[in-house]
Amino acid sequence: MSFEPPVATCTAAGLIFWLFLYEKPWENVQKIMNILLFGLLIILIGGVLPLAFVCRPRLAMGLHAALLCAGCLSGLAGLFHAWYTGTIMVLTIPWLTFTLHLSLDSLAGFFLLPVLLIAPLAALYGYHYMDTSRHSLRPVASCLFFNLLIAAMILVPLAADMLAFVVAWELMSFASFILVLYDWEERQTRRAAHIYLLFSQAGAFAVFAAFGLLFAATGSFILNSGAFAALSHELKLAAFLLALLGFGSKAGIMPLHVWLPHAHPAAPSHVSALMSGVMIKLGIYGILRMYFLLDDSAPVFAWIILALGIISGILGVAYALAKHDIKRFLAYHSIENIGIILIGCGLGMLGLATGERTMAVLGFTGGLLHVLNHALYKSLLFFGAGAIHRSTGTRTIDALGGLVRRMPITGRSFLTGSVAISGLPPLNGFVSEFLIYYAGFLGLRFNGFNLMLVIAAIVSLAMIGGLATACFTKAVGIVFLGEPRSPQASQATEAGPAMQTTMLALTFLCLCIGLFPGPFIHAAFAGLRDLGPMASSLLSGDVLAGISRNLTLIAWLFVVLLAGLAGLRHRAYRDKPVERAATWGCGFTQASSRIQYTGTSYAMGPVNFFRPLVLARSQCTGLAQKILPASAKYSSKAEDLAEITLQRLLTTPVLWLAQKLRWIQHGRIQSYIAYIVLTIIIVLLLV
Amino acid sequence: MSVILSVFSLVLALALVPLFPGIILKVKAFFAGKKGPPLLIKYYTLLKLLRKGSVYSTSSTFVFRLGPIFSCAAALMALFFFPFAWLQPLFSFQGDIIVLLYFFALGRFFTIVAALDTASPFEGMGAAREAFFAFLAEATLFAVLVLFFRMNGTLSLGEYFAGQTPLSFDGARGALLVLVVVGLFMVMLAENARVPVDDPATHLELTMIHEAMILDHSGPDLATIELGAFCKLFFYAAFVASLLKPAQLVLNPVLAILLFYGLVVLVYAAIGVVESGTARLKMPLVPKYLLTSFALVFFAIILTSLEFIQ
Repeated sequence: MSFEPPVATCTAAGLIFWLFLYEKPWENVQKIMNILLFGLLIILIGGVLPLAFVCRPRLAMGLHAALLCAGCLSGLAGLFHAWYTGTIMVLTIPWLTFTLHLSLDSLAGFFLLPVLLIAPLAALYGYHYMDTSRHSLRPVASCLFFNLLIAAMILVPLAADMLAFVVAWELMSFASFILVLYDWEERQTRRAAHIYLLFSQAGAFAVFAAFGLLFAATGSFILNSGAFAALSHELKLAAFLLALLGFGSKAGIMPLHVWLPHAHPAAPSHVSALMSGVMIKLGIYGILRMYFLLDDSAPVFAWIILALGIISGILGVAYALAKHDIKRFLAYHSIENIGIILIGCGLGMLGLATGERTMAVLGFTGGLLHVLNHALYKSLLFFGAGAIHRSTGTRTIDALGGLVRRMPITGRSFLTGSVAISGLPPLNGFVSEFLIYYAGFLGLRFNGFNLMLVIAAIVSLAMIGGLATACFTKAVGIVFLGEPRSPQASQATEAGPAMQTTMLALTFLCLCIGLFPGPFIHAAFAGLRDLGPMASSLLSGDVLAGISRNLTLIAWLFVVLLAGLAGLRHRAYRDKPVERAATWGCGFTQASSRIQYTGTSYAMGPVNFFRPLVLARSQCTGLAQKILPASAKYSSKAEDLAEITLQRLLTTPVLWLAQKLRWIQHGRIQSYIAYIVLTIIIVLLLV
Repeated sequence: MSVILSVFSLVLALALVPLFPGIILKVKAFFAGKKGPPLLIKYYTLLKLLRKGSVYSTSSTFVFRLGPIFSCAAALMALFFFPFAWLQPLFSFQGDIIVLLYFFALGRFFTIVAALDTASPFEGMGAAREAFFAFLAEATLFAVLVLFFRMNGTLSLGEYFAGQTPLSFDGARGALLVLVVVGLFMVMLAENARVPVDDPATHLELTMIHEAMILDHSGPDLATIELGAFCKLFFYAAFVASLLKPAQLVLNPVLAILLFYGLVVLVYAAIGVVESGTARLKMPLVPKYLLTSFALVFFAIILTSLEFIQ
């Protein structure tokens, strides 16, 4: 009998809950942190324990999912109590000669929310997604790294000094690198993992350099908002830019995003969901944390963040349109959404810089809420993409079609996720975009450069919205609707029950935030509570209450109208003849599934519109060369401008230099020893 | 009292919505030297469609049936927030116009996926064009909102036309509205499938946009789509018409309603004149057409930051 994870999860959750009540954490603030760390411990056990059951991979995976769920539930319980007590929890752990500090403040708490929500769902999804028939060790080993990744993602927001942060950050990069490498037999996967490793390590160096600058100036490892107040503006800017380089490459900001579209398609889908939905948000966390730590409200920070947000937003969605691989398509959408989040945060920073408090509140709240929203619908969409890949064996959009009839649950949840990610009401994506729009409009009171930037932000948000609609109508319409375009698509079967359950849960959450936005807007606003002197001026969130009320009103008005129309439609069709026939072919009677519009042709218009920025190249052979045409071939592909430029300006020169220096590496051991001796002598002479 | 008036103006608008497209047909018939269909033709069309049954494509799924009700509900939403005849609308809050534009986008989303659901290449083609042109139109619309916020500091339909400082043609700032009226009129034609972007009267599916997307709908479903389209066109026409009243002109509600519908008829007649006088643009020219409208509005925004206009 197989080990059913839902049953096990319920049991584990009950056990944890009992333990939780027994501990009475609300009587002692320190215990809340203990509950959180207790959850962390369970997660780690959940990673190691399955290794003992390698021979029975199903059991091992079930155990992993159940323990992870239990750990995350326990973590969530701790988080909610921390939320209500409203104090900053601090914990110190001695390690070697250092002391590591962990602290749970409001911003950390808010970023922990998506981690603890998505992680158990991803693990449950993985239970039916992972194929244990071919390999038995590999899925079980991936469980270990999966849980290490979760643990690292919990520790990154908790870290309150540079050392703890560095350890957690590197653990996160390493564990996710191993997870990307899951299908290492494939060359593309290995290449993707290499690119990812390069970007994450180069980024980490930039972050370390920023920390080094700050440490040199203050002599302390503690990341505390009071610590850097006295530093000069130039030093703060330098540290911020370095940190932005590192965190930005993790988050996937436009010129630093190159790894994302490679790594996401290569990784297993529940890992992509976790990486795209949750991990890249920790890059945003890093940027925000750095900004508030430096406590400098100069407008230049806002300008940089806003400009990067606009570029990532528009180009992310333009590239997404041109992509044929559904997971790569979703990866570019992560870049777009990171752009939207940055636009929100940038408007918030601009509000702080100019003293427009309401604008700052709306910008940051919108940005933070978008972090949570994107985590929900992006995981949902990656789950859907995984289910498609699992059941058809292909990720090419143009080879699919008509899947909603064969995969009803996946199709319906993918449709909901698509509406949500396009930022359309009455779902969750719209709520955060509305807040960001509102912040932007308040910024129209400025003049000069600030005004231009704010106008650019508003217009680009509108264009991003329109393009995202184009993108996701393409994804839903070509993949799920119409007729199957290949035999694989016509033989698709619905995903396993655990996968369906997780998709439904996420769909429910997306609807929930859309129809009852109030508590979630306030949660996002509360994320700003403990952020030091700069943020403490933001503590009046009155405007948010009105906005949540209005958004709730309009969402429900629409639901009522929709229900009314559906009712009238039902009445209108009572005792009317309803027939089924072939689609009207406009006179053409030999219709086949091949004559349907493809995703490529659907996206051609907007992609060509972005011509110099999105290099879409198409090749067509065999058409109309003779009187009787031979079989024709058409292919198109859009190359990433950032990738090409990076290759031309950085990789090629470095390789050239390395080629020139090859003579140093010749494989003779005696010369290597001579190198070592020489180096030591030089070092001794110099130091 | 004001609530009753709001409800009355909404009900009146809902009742009159199918009348106006008839005016366009009459104007076009006049220019073509024909008698044209009766003015109430669209009411007859809706009733005719409501009495029929439907034929559904074997390729289509539940999404196909969702398309009409989503697009119609989204367009109806807009009427609840519109200050007809410069009277207080039924609902109004800061930011409502953003939500309404996004509801239009939601309606478009479902119209497009319903079109793709039929597996017809023509409908796919129409859908692709709709999605492409919509994002450019959205840029213009949001530029208009930016301009309005610069002009009277509000972000709601009610405040634009029925608030403390309504938008109007007065003073140096009012001159900017000329650019807006032209820009909005251009976007209205594009968003509502009119010439020169789309031709509702064409019989060749290859050249259609909106008509191609709804080829497979029939019966009450088609009636719902048509009603939604009428509402959307009416929303835009009323938007343009509301900008045309001078601010000093204070009228009692009856006269205001008369003036308002007079202006609306004028806008519809203008659409008819444009349709009679121009041909549909080539598809590659449509983005340029839409960007022209954006440039007009953007130019107006730049002018707001000049000294003499403030």
